[in-house]
Amino acid sequence: MHISEGILSGGTLIAGWAGSVAGISYGLKHTDPEKIVRTAFTSSVFFLASLVNVRIGPSSTHLTLLAPMGIILGDAVFPAVFVALLLQAVLFHFGGLVVLGANTFAMAFPALMTHVIFGRAICESSGKFRTMTLSFMAGTFTVMAGACIAGTFLGMTDKNFLGAVKLLLIAHVPLAVIEGVVTAFLVIWLKRVMPESLQ
Amino acid sequence: MSQNAYTLEFSPTTAATETRRNPATTLICAVSYALAVSVSDSWPALLLASILPAVILAKRFPLHALAKLNLLNAVMILTLALTWPEFSGGLVMGTVIALRVNMICVVFMSMVYPLGTGGIYEALCVLGMPEKMRVLIILTLRGIFTMHERFETALISVRLRAPNLKGMMKLRVFASVTASVLVQSALRSENVMRAVKCRGGFGGFSQYRHEGFNSRDVLFMAGFMVYASCVALLNYA
Repeated sequence: MHISEGILSGGTLIAGWAGSVAGISYGLKHTDPEKIVRTAFTSSVFFLASLVNVRIGPSSTHLTLLAPMGIILGDAVFPAVFVALLLQAVLFHFGGLVVLGANTFAMAFPALMTHVIFGRAICESSGKFRTMTLSFMAGTFTVMAGACIAGTFLGMTDKNFLGAVKLLLIAHVPLAVIEGVVTAFLVIWLKRVMPESLQ
Repeated sequence: MSQNAYTLEFSPTTAATETRRNPATTLICAVSYALAVSVSDSWPALLLASILPAVILAKRFPLHALAKLNLLNAVMILTLALTWPEFSGGLVMGTVIALRVNMICVVFMSMVYPLGTGGIYEALCVLGMPEKMRVLIILTLRGIFTMHERFETALISVRLRAPNLKGMMKLRVFASVTASVLVQSALRSENVMRAVKCRGGFGGFSQYRHEGFNSRDVLFMAGFMVYASCVALLNYA
């Protein structure tokens, strides 16, 4: 889902940074100092989990785990994703620094939306099947919404990118399903062992 | 140790610090160059922009670092050529993007990434990053190194117990490992928070005063800004 350096136009880069700065400011304002340590450690676990190579058939993929990140961190997801992407850019040269704003927005906004749309329903759901279904929907929604935002950024850069955007969306469908399954199992596990982490 | 010996021992370091370029200067210059390149799509502007990466490439730049990047670029050019309304238009656009990506990556890899996490953190502090964000970056970095060992141990344990995991079970086990490390991280973060409180809270957590810009930094930045502006102006001329 990372957009590489050199692809987006100046206006799109500015729009990405504006959205990210707004989200980061909102996140930092609504995160009390007591929660910062927890946010940092949770963010670091997701950072490590996203580095694990999951082999699916002949190919392999890296999961983003944005949905559980959004459900657990809530408002703090924007700063957490920004820091994770900054460290990825610096340590592994994934993404980039100029395009960091657009990438942060494309990944953190769907995670925040997941928290708003599915967060409460997942916390309050009682049956295992219902919780798993909601979590699966949350996982797939986050990936597809992220791909849609990345596609919008590409479309804002040049209308002719729309053909490539369609390919991008199709390529994200299997990843969305896998993310949905992992999110469902992860949420069920957390709900059984540490339910307070989801509230 | 006498006062003279102490002074002699530390004088070379002091001298090095005085002549060191501020990391914020490097970051500002590289980002302004990358911005100018990102908005450029005319060949004269790209030609002017390629002077800096060409100079860097001439000075022992590890070319193998660009090999993987250009493999991805080849896929990107082919994708654009096939999905663009006209094949030739997509090919040109793909080539322009690949050129931009290479130029930006060469500049970042030779100027910004060697600063390391510490240098970039320092640069962001000089540029006025909020206190909460500073704490978040420091603790996330610390968390990565702390939790990495636990994550690795859990994965090794899974590989030993079930080396041939496949399909849905593999995803289930991966989710369980991540969730168990999450629980461990929550417990660990409680201990860290308790330790922070014992030391008097976050007040003074990142109070180190970072160096400002000296005259060399200002000159370097001014030169870079002129170069980046020329690239951008040539694009719109």
